[in-house]
Amino acid sequence: MRNALVIKDLHASIGDLEILKGVDLEIPFGEVHALMGPNGSGKSTLSHVLMGKDDYTSSGSVLLDGEEIMGLGVDERARKGLFEAFQYPVEVPGVSLDDLVEEIGGAVGNGDFASRVAASTAQLGMGRFLKRPINEGLSGGEKKRSEMFQLALVQPKVAVLDEIDSGLDVDAVREVAGLVESSRSENLGVLVITHYSRILNYMKPDRIHVMIGGRIVRSGGREVADELEDTGYEALRAELGLVPVRDPLLDLP
Amino acid sequence: MTPLTSSTLLRVPGESDESLETRQHALAKLADFAMPTGREEVWRYVDLDFDLEDFEVAVAAESIDERPPVPDSAGFALVVDGSVVAAESSDPNLTVGRATDRFESLIDPGQDIFTAAQAAHGAERVDVVVADGKAIESPIFIDVSASSEGASFPAVRIRVGKGSEATVALRLRSADDLPALVVPHVEGSLGDNSNLTVVVDQGWGRATRSIGQIVFSVGRDASLKTAEAGLGGALARWQLDIKLAGQGSNAKVVGAYFGDEEQILDYRYVMHHAAPNTHSEMFLKGAVEDEAGSVFTGMIRIDEIAQKTDAFQTNRNLILSDGASAQSVPNLEILANDVKCGHGSTVGQLDPEQRYYLMSRGLDRPSADRLQVRGFFEEALSRFPVPAIVEPLRGRFNEKFLRAQEEGRL
Repeated sequence: MRNALVIKDLHASIGDLEILKGVDLEIPFGEVHALMGPNGSGKSTLSHVLMGKDDYTSSGSVLLDGEEIMGLGVDERARKGLFEAFQYPVEVPGVSLDDLVEEIGGAVGNGDFASRVAASTAQLGMGRFLKRPINEGLSGGEKKRSEMFQLALVQPKVAVLDEIDSGLDVDAVREVAGLVESSRSENLGVLVITHYSRILNYMKPDRIHVMIGGRIVRSGGREVADELEDTGYEALRAELGLVPVRDPLLDLP
Repeated sequence: MTPLTSSTLLRVPGESDESLETRQHALAKLADFAMPTGREEVWRYVDLDFDLEDFEVAVAAESIDERPPVPDSAGFALVVDGSVVAAESSDPNLTVGRATDRFESLIDPGQDIFTAAQAAHGAERVDVVVADGKAIESPIFIDVSASSEGASFPAVRIRVGKGSEATVALRLRSADDLPALVVPHVEGSLGDNSNLTVVVDQGWGRATRSIGQIVFSVGRDASLKTAEAGLGGALARWQLDIKLAGQGSNAKVVGAYFGDEEQILDYRYVMHHAAPNTHSEMFLKGAVEDEAGSVFTGMIRIDEIAQKTDAFQTNRNLILSDGASAQSVPNLEILANDVKCGHGSTVGQLDPEQRYYLMSRGLDRPSADRLQVRGFFEEALSRFPVPAIVEPLRGRFNEKFLRAQEEGRL
């Protein structure tokens, strides 16, 4: 099976503070993986480092469909097929979603982009948001829906959905989970980052990984989430002999 | 050409003895004024790099045959180098004419050397009069241009009758390489219950300096909307004074300005609440790049009598280059005790989080920044009152940024 994403020994730090301490992860095309972990474990940092945000110093290897993307700029990674759905989608005052869609079309759109826009707009009920400024005045659920809409337009090879369920009520979580499942494709690998196992009740991830202290400490099937649900992250920490790290800096998005 | 300080003034066609005499008195007074030094409060943020004495009175190069297109206008006027070369109305309730008579201006000629010079050399003006109780549906276009070197003193006076309604679009322009000095005066009085909208397209050429005044007096329950787009000029200064003179009157002021290279854009805006139950809102957004500088000095003045005033001013600035500077100086002067009043003022740079978000969607950095800048101005331009004028303005703001990117200045 071909891998959409291969992460090898990924380290990242802000200043002297090391946040990712050697992450290894593989996601084959066609699969949806979940990454769980407590606050401050480095989950959001992982998604930003994958995307190439310049706040971090990083090392290691990230292969996107077999091609090394470490060292590339944010936009180059996006155009190679990496998509990050933001935990906190950024408001861009005065710029309508329509304007952004047009720019996305110019940057990554291919032949049938226009019809994809039309189809996704209808499917996700985005019509009424297109003329409004990006993410401005949208509810939590609407923002996440807008992220999933953009994912559908971009058609990436790898989608990293950072805390796609945060701040959502149960109906919105179910809706987003449904959108993730329906985005499954043999040309896409998905990494769903989440703090709670709640969203996993509405989707069927192929694998679940647990990150604590900047490393993936456990990987497995559905049972990993069930175990966490029962015993919590602290029990897992104790079992693995990890010292709890509670640095407030790690809680930064 | 006549030096500005020559002891005699030429009579303009149609001018009365009385008017000429008034101007001669004003000319005598002009000698009492010196160029601002920068120590005066009203001039402290702008460095004047010229002397009025070095200018001569501009003479219109030639008559203009070609009139700019004025689609669906109720009236129009052309002013070249201060001379009113055309003025026409197609609406029986509207007068757009050339006037040379003496009149009581709302603009105090004794403020500084520029207002004094306008009183002496501003011999003619465009007079716009809307009869009582009439709504003029289409805009009135006034095109003010400078065509020859030297100083010119164009003036526009708008009077809107009780219960009437009108929209005036004012365009200012000159060739890019014309080192002219223009002292435009625009004034308007709004009768009770009237509505006036004035949109100013400041498109002076890159070598032209402009020191302008815009003054309005707003009557009872009347409503004023003004908008200015500031794109041109080597130096372009507006001193705007709005007096909410009648109870229940209101004013909305919008602005968008964008300076590059070594442009100086200077806004000195005063909103004077002089009657109870008056409302005002100022909303200006400006950006500067290269070595450009901008200043917004805003003042909300609320008289003791002006209880139940509701006033707010917003000024947001974007600095796009290290060498550029923007100042935002809000002031409040409140003498009444039952008012709602506030201001918001910011000077900042492009937001890295917005840039990251947009680039994560595949936009390269120039595209992401262009979108962010477009959005920045859009918040002001979307508030401009005349849609037909806004669309081309939008394009000019975008093009200005695009050009800077293409020329590698950003």
